Amino acid sequence: MGEIILKPKVAFKVPIIAETITPDNFAGKSIKEIEDLEAWEGNRKTTLGELFEITGAPGETPKDTKIIIEGDVKKVKKIGCKMTDGEIIIKGSVGMYLGEEMKGGKITVEGDADSWIGTRMKGGQIEVKGNAGDYIGAPYRGDTKGMKKGTIIIHGNAGNEVGCWMRGGTIIVKGNTGLFPGIHMKKGTILIEGDCAGRCGAMMKGGKIAVLGYVPSILPSFTFEEIKKSFKIKGEKIKGPFYVFTGDLNENGAGRLHVSVEKNKHLQFYEKFLE
Amino acid sequence: MKTISNVVCPFCGSLCDDIEVDVENGQVTKVRRGCAISIAKFTKYGEERIYKPRIDGKEASLEEAIDKAVEILANAKYPILYGWSCTSTEAINVGIEIAELIGGVMDNTASVCHGPTIIGEQDAGISTCTLGQVKHRADLIIYWGCNPAHAHPRHMARYSAASKGKFVKGRNERKVIVVDVRKTRTAKAADIFIQVEPNSDYELLTALRWAVKNGELEQPKIAGIPAEKIEEIADMLISCRFGALFFGLGLTMSAGKARNIEAAVSLVRELNNYTKFVMMPMRGHFNVTGANEVMAWITGYPFAVDFSRGYPFYNPGDTTVVDILTRGDCDAALIVASDPVSGFPTEAVRNLAKIPVITIDPHETPTTMISKVVIPTALVGIEAEGSAYRMDAVPLRLKKLVDPPPNILSDEEVLKMILKKLKERVG
Amino acid sequence: MEILIKNGYVYDPINKIDGEKMDIAVKDGKIVESVGSNAKVIDASNMLVMPGGVDIHSHIAGSKVNSGRILRPEDHYKDVEPRTTVTRSGVGYTVPSSYTIGYRYAKLGYTTVIEAASPPLKTRHTHEELNDIPLIDKTCYLVLDNNWIVLDYLSQGEIDKCAAFIAWILKALKGYAIKIVNPGGVELWGWGRNVESLDDQVPPFNITPREIVRGLCKINKILNLPHTIHLHTNNLGKPGNYRTTIETMDAVKDLADGKPNIHVTHVQFCGYGGDTWITLRSGAPEIAKYVNNHPHVTIDLGQVVFGEATTMTGDGPFQFILQSLTGNKWKNADVEAEGSAGIVPYKFKRKNFVNAIQWTIGLELALLIKDPWRVFLTTDHPNAGPFTEYPRVIAWLMSTKAREKTMERINKRAKKRSVLPSVDREYTFYEIAIITRAATAKALNLTNKGHLGVGADADIAIYNINPMEVNPSKEYKKVRKALRRAAYTIKGGEIIVKDGEIVKSFVGETFWVKPTMPEELEKEILREVAEKFKEYYTVSLENYIIGEHELARSRSITVNTSL
Ligand code: SF4
Ligand SMILES: [Zn+2]
Repeated sequence: MGEIILKPKVAFKVPIIAETITPDNFAGKSIKEIEDLEAWEGNRKTTLGELFEITGAPGETPKDTKIIIEGDVKKVKKIGCKMTDGEIIIKGSVGMYLGEEMKGGKITVEGDADSWIGTRMKGGQIEVKGNAGDYIGAPYRGDTKGMKKGTIIIHGNAGNEVGCWMRGGTIIVKGNTGLFPGIHMKKGTILIEGDCAGRCGAMMKGGKIAVLGYVPSILPSFTFEEIKKSFKIKGEKIKGPFYVFTGDLNENGAGRLHVSVEKNKHLQFYEKFLE
Repeated sequence: MKTISNVVCPFCGSLCDDIEVDVENGQVTKVRRGCAISIAKFTKYGEERIYKPRIDGKEASLEEAIDKAVEILANAKYPILYGWSCTSTEAINVGIEIAELIGGVMDNTASVCHGPTIIGEQDAGISTCTLGQVKHRADLIIYWGCNPAHAHPRHMARYSAASKGKFVKGRNERKVIVVDVRKTRTAKAADIFIQVEPNSDYELLTALRWAVKNGELEQPKIAGIPAEKIEEIADMLISCRFGALFFGLGLTMSAGKARNIEAAVSLVRELNNYTKFVMMPMRGHFNVTGANEVMAWITGYPFAVDFSRGYPFYNPGDTTVVDILTRGDCDAALIVASDPVSGFPTEAVRNLAKIPVITIDPHETPTTMISKVVIPTALVGIEAEGSAYRMDAVPLRLKKLVDPPPNILSDEEVLKMILKKLKERVG
Repeated sequence: MEILIKNGYVYDPINKIDGEKMDIAVKDGKIVESVGSNAKVIDASNMLVMPGGVDIHSHIAGSKVNSGRILRPEDHYKDVEPRTTVTRSGVGYTVPSSYTIGYRYAKLGYTTVIEAASPPLKTRHTHEELNDIPLIDKTCYLVLDNNWIVLDYLSQGEIDKCAAFIAWILKALKGYAIKIVNPGGVELWGWGRNVESLDDQVPPFNITPREIVRGLCKINKILNLPHTIHLHTNNLGKPGNYRTTIETMDAVKDLADGKPNIHVTHVQFCGYGGDTWITLRSGAPEIAKYVNNHPHVTIDLGQVVFGEATTMTGDGPFQFILQSLTGNKWKNADVEAEGSAGIVPYKFKRKNFVNAIQWTIGLELALLIKDPWRVFLTTDHPNAGPFTEYPRVIAWLMSTKAREKTMERINKRAKKRSVLPSVDREYTFYEIAIITRAATAKALNLTNKGHLGVGADADIAIYNINPMEVNPSKEYKKVRKALRRAAYTIKGGEIIVKDGEIVKSFVGETFWVKPTMPEELEKEILREVAEKFKEYYTVSLENYIIGEHELARSRSITVNTSL
């Protein structure tokens, strides 16, 4: 496997757009060729070579190309855009639109990631060791085509609208999330291991959400169905029990929302509908 | 003395166009039909004015100030151009061309007020109308998270609750509902006041929609309101002939923001299966709507437009100026007819103070105080004419009533000078 | 500047020139007999030369179009135009930004385009956008049929006063023609309702759609306006509505005097047979038969091109139905005392039965109506698809093979129901020139447009295709390709497009009509209108009027009325 290392030459001030940083673009190229790949520093067109110190050698194919980014790339957007294979490891924190329209391969972030991770993602895996911003897997404004396939794992907390307009795939947040996880989702699975700020599954039409922690309330357009012992994600069983709701009925939706019974004593009143 | 009638008032998004002013010795001396805000502003517009351009706090010629501005903008790698809601559509139009030329981010104050309205609309649409439609037909009016009695003083009498229309003749033929977190002046004048728990508008809107659809509310209380009460209101909404929902920052800025608007849009859409229902944002600054319109027709997007790659790109959250400033991404700023220092979050202001700022404004503001270059201009609607869009997107023409102070040009003229010099420089 | 276009194959139907190899001389923005030896020479040998295109119905500017832009950022992300040294930047596939509209029309060889529906109260907005559409000449139709002042006068039988009011409003707001949109139905939409037939009552005005249409048709004649009434029918978008369409045409038959007196627009949307979406079939054969037998009617197609579209009309109730059928996002915008507008994004799919039928209807109309001077090419941009897809429509019209290719891929049931497979007519270049420029210019009475005779405006399109060598029937792809990007477009005597790229940009003219009126009558009408205005509008009359200085390049056309 070929390995290539990128190190920012300076601390970036203005946003950098570097959608060329993918195994697909690097594979089979010389360092010089990689340095000449296009990037944007604010409103100036520049090259990767101007922005990064680039060492190592890529593999012959995307599949055997591993890109390691060392240093802070918080201001760098669109890393891994449309990648189909191979691997990117970011040793620090990363900017927006990580893995935009990604189709395959793997991205690992050791720090935090900004908003719109895996926007319109179609496959592959993104793993963030730290926290993530808003709109994980969401499309741009006005669009209804969110994440379709693939897996996103956040070890820390995530912001609002996790899995917005999601059409498939899996998102796992090990920490807490903000408002509206699974808003407008049609298919796929979201697992939140921590607490959620609320409004889970708003306007969802289908798909599954499970919250293992606390939720302040359930939206009034969800109806309580049953208590279930466990929840299945990627073949793995997660122990409950869970209150299970169906919704969003305002959208004639048939999404399933699972909420931990134990952590949500305040939802006990729903149990009267069990008879 | 000269009396000018049918003057368009440039002090809030209501753009009342029936104002009459007396002008004497180049001064507005009397204002008729205006509200308290209007009268105060029309008669005090001369206060806190800036009369001379400045660079680094020192007086400079207009020429020098413009050269300095051009130098800053041409060198910037990620400049922001912000404000625009209190100037003419023509001036904004020039601003857009500057932004495009220098690869900057053009954003207007909608970004911090009704931006969520636009984002919500982009997901769900909106059923709306011009204000006259409400005046003629609405027998039920909701004010949600807005307080027109305070912020748009003539709105209710001229366009909404108390207006006299063709089919609905006045206040007693309309039912008025106010939804807010506190009992405002508007709420006191309402038939029904619903005190929603803070940050629970989304839950209430969702419950109302479900109740309109005849669904069962399983929770006894939602957003602090008993389920039976919500069902009662839902019935009321269904049974009106023409309903109108006006909403303000209480809805766009409470938890959920754009999603609150989407929920309101969805409720109104549902209601249109039973009756006629519309909704409208209560826009504050007099031409914030115009800023959205002109940006949309030239760039495709109504605010937060990033030209850094040579074409318009839009993604609020990324390309909104308040977010850019908070992240500290920009390296220069052009502020026109706005005072972000007073309104923005601390972190954003701190970052703004670190970069060269050019401010074009008639008045001294906290923002002019931190600016490297200040260029004073004429007040649109008093000292300069131009187009502006009312909150319902009805375009009107602001009048020039008096001459500006000597050597003071309009925003449009100053921006055109900057554009011309930039073109010579950038090509 | 002088230009000599040498040796092109010229199609200029107004002057009955059908593919003749000839030179065209241009001087000071006009077509002239000859030019000096210093003229810039364009070698057009083996190329096709036509007058610049004239689009009679397109939505390019104003509150509705802009609402579409705001509503649909997803339409813009992937269709971007970076700034160049000549052009401004822009975005948008179905609802492009204003500069992009001008450039894209110019690239197609179009030089005149009409915004098809401007609500009077928001016409200042329309003009502000028209000012920012470069290169092409333009104007707008004013939507007047649900206007309360018009309805008042018509219901009181005051045709002359109504005519005077319309004369005034066209002048005051700088419009070009009377647009009618679902007469009566849109007023009822103020209550969330609609009309269902030409003879439904419209309370409280005590008037019917039929009376509105007839009244406005008479007024059009009194005012001697350059264009006929321009009408979007009642019941648009409903199965079985072809009957309403024919009935509407027939409602003004007796008012005609040998010339067309009604233009029915985007007839595809009102050419539906059957009774439900399931029994839907094309009503085009019936409509074509009527049009063939009645010279008082012109139509345009509203041809469906498959793919993304943004429906936007002044027909609020129609858009409401569409949003409930699709569940797509929906914008509605009523305008006090005047009308409404609605917008719903839409995707026309080949395999969808209804969409496929819709596709056949437009083509059937074009092919079954015999007189090309009375049927015009439009997609009702962006309702049935963007104007940039006109070359695709032209290929379908010129080639049975192109049609068959598409028919193989459309919904089978729809194909079976259509007469299209049995139609073997193929348009010639001459006929294409008619339906895209000559006939539209004539219908608009723009005497300097749509032809290349001496004295005409030098608006010229040159396409890189040899009509003597290429057989459009077989090589329709070549036609499509050539028409997408003009080799040259000349506007007002200036070369604006070369090899499909914009090489020069400036502002085109906005033209509008100025009907003559006796001073006394105008005063009287204004007095009455001022009174009504106070009651009906939330703006003052003075602020409603648009000054000529608000137009970037204004050109008024005086019209001698019989008022
Ligand atoms: S309500 Fe607004 S526009 Fe009207 S007079 Fe008062 S400040 Fe001016
Ligand atoms: Zn149309």
